[in-house]
Amino acid sequence: MSEVKFIGWHGLVVLVLYAVFIMATCIYLSARQTRKDSLKSFYIGGGGLGAMLLFFTLYATQYSGNTVVGYAPAAYRTGYAYFQSIPFFIMVIVGYLLFAPRLHVLAKKHNFVTPSDWLQKRFESKAVTLLGTILMAYGLSNYLLEQLVAMGHAISGLTAGFIPYFYGVIFLVIIMFIYEWLGGMKAVAIADTINGIALMIGVVSLMFLSLRYFGSLGEAAQFIVNEAPKKIGVPALETSINWISIYILVGVGAAVYPHAIQRIYAAKSEKVLKKSLSRMAWMPFITSGMVFIIGIIGIKAFPGLDKAQSEKLIGMVANVIASKSALNYWMMMILYTGIIGAIMSTTDSVILALSSLISNDIYGRFVKPGASEKDKVLWGKIVGICIVLLLLIIAWKPPATLYEIFVLKFEILIQVAPAFLLGLYWKKLNKNGVLLGMIIGAVVASGMTFAGVKTFHGVHGGVIGLAINMAICILISLAVPSSKDEEKKAEEIISLNA
Amino acid sequence: MDKSFREPIRFKWIWVVLAIITLAGVPWYLPQGTIYPIILGFPYWAFISVVSTIVLAVFMTYVINNYWDMESLVEQDEEGGQDK
Repeated sequence: MSEVKFIGWHGLVVLVLYAVFIMATCIYLSARQTRKDSLKSFYIGGGGLGAMLLFFTLYATQYSGNTVVGYAPAAYRTGYAYFQSIPFFIMVIVGYLLFAPRLHVLAKKHNFVTPSDWLQKRFESKAVTLLGTILMAYGLSNYLLEQLVAMGHAISGLTAGFIPYFYGVIFLVIIMFIYEWLGGMKAVAIADTINGIALMIGVVSLMFLSLRYFGSLGEAAQFIVNEAPKKIGVPALETSINWISIYILVGVGAAVYPHAIQRIYAAKSEKVLKKSLSRMAWMPFITSGMVFIIGIIGIKAFPGLDKAQSEKLIGMVANVIASKSALNYWMMMILYTGIIGAIMSTTDSVILALSSLISNDIYGRFVKPGASEKDKVLWGKIVGICIVLLLLIIAWKPPATLYEIFVLKFEILIQVAPAFLLGLYWKKLNKNGVLLGMIIGAVVASGMTFAGVKTFHGVHGGVIGLAINMAICILISLAVPSSKDEEKKAEEIISLNA
Repeated sequence: MDKSFREPIRFKWIWVVLAIITLAGVPWYLPQGTIYPIILGFPYWAFISVVSTIVLAVFMTYVINNYWDMESLVEQDEEGGQDK
């Protein structure tokens, strides 16, 4: 990222103007409509997000800055097999199709605000709700940490180091806190709309300018055939297995992200949700698809980069383009702003989801069950700020040991999936099975990460954990069945009749 | 139950078709290392992936629009619930 020779103060002015514009727009459009004494209004926009806001908040939350900055180098190193980054984003929509239709209806029926509301309603077990909430909050915190680090790098790239990494992050975090504090989910959705548009413009222009200055994909393919045939030939079987494993990990994992589930709750109607998701099925082509092409073109444009050098690929590409004309220079400024915007839009959604888990579930259920909604919302906001401050300290001075603790995300989050995928349809699924499944699934997945075994014959630790988790859920629920009364109650809860 | 009620997970054929489209796009069944022909800048196997991905997006759009209709069962959906 630090390769672009932007003039520092240009980047600074662009960044400040952009951030202030977003903050002012969000506050103006959302603050008065959002009630701070209602969990539902604050955390899921009153369950009334329309098609445009819902689509952009889904889009900008799902595609982070890493989709541009990290995926182009991955395509550069892997070659054509990284085409998987396009279908795997469609797999997230397939993941939604497994549970969103029913969950949307049930969320409206039972007034859910957080994913833990479902766990509590369905299993009526404090242990299941608490463990599920902790797994989700833990996975989200690490996801947030990753976004904060990425944000710092992107800001120092845009301002050519003019703004030190840490101060840049603090500045944007304060901006996000202000609009979130005042406007909740509505503000986040509006910010996501602006950030999503900036990202789209940035990525599309980067791809077309890359084709113009570095040659076509066909020329790149010919170069790769001669210089790096492994990157263009049919990959080994293990790569294909890994490819399918990623589909499961991302498809199920990203769909059950707490902020993703809350967007199912936030949709104004089924029609709006369907419209947004069917549009989302096409977005990978103009996001990760274009980034993939840039990565492949990069193999010919900047041959022979090692892993560390290739990480700066987007910066190198942008630098060459920016040096060609003043217009290009400003286009690349928009790209960098879009990248920062994409990171912001993921970060603000994660902060809001984390804060809702703390306020509605940890505080509202376990610390002070009788608290008023106003009290809960306030508590969630304050603890949310404390967690982000803690994460900022970790991002600033990363610990030398136990680094793996901060790497676990999907692997852990995905372990709550059976409670949704099975729990929504199978009345026999019970709290014992879900609890034991979650524990063992999380231990297996994190154990593999700690042991440094990322995959087993190409299959990810998170997917292996999920498979074991699912099997335990089913076996325990059959071996130690619920009483007839409990089953009848479960049947009533998952029933669609109003 | 209302005849227009449709929930995607209940249609087994949807998931069979999805599995076929998805697996066809991953080159596990092709000879390792082969490249030619190159079509529009993609080696043939990646081009198959491109086609399968487009088909996947088309199919998802079709399924979402035609096999997902729970609203006919829950009429109140549009209005949302009361605040918690």
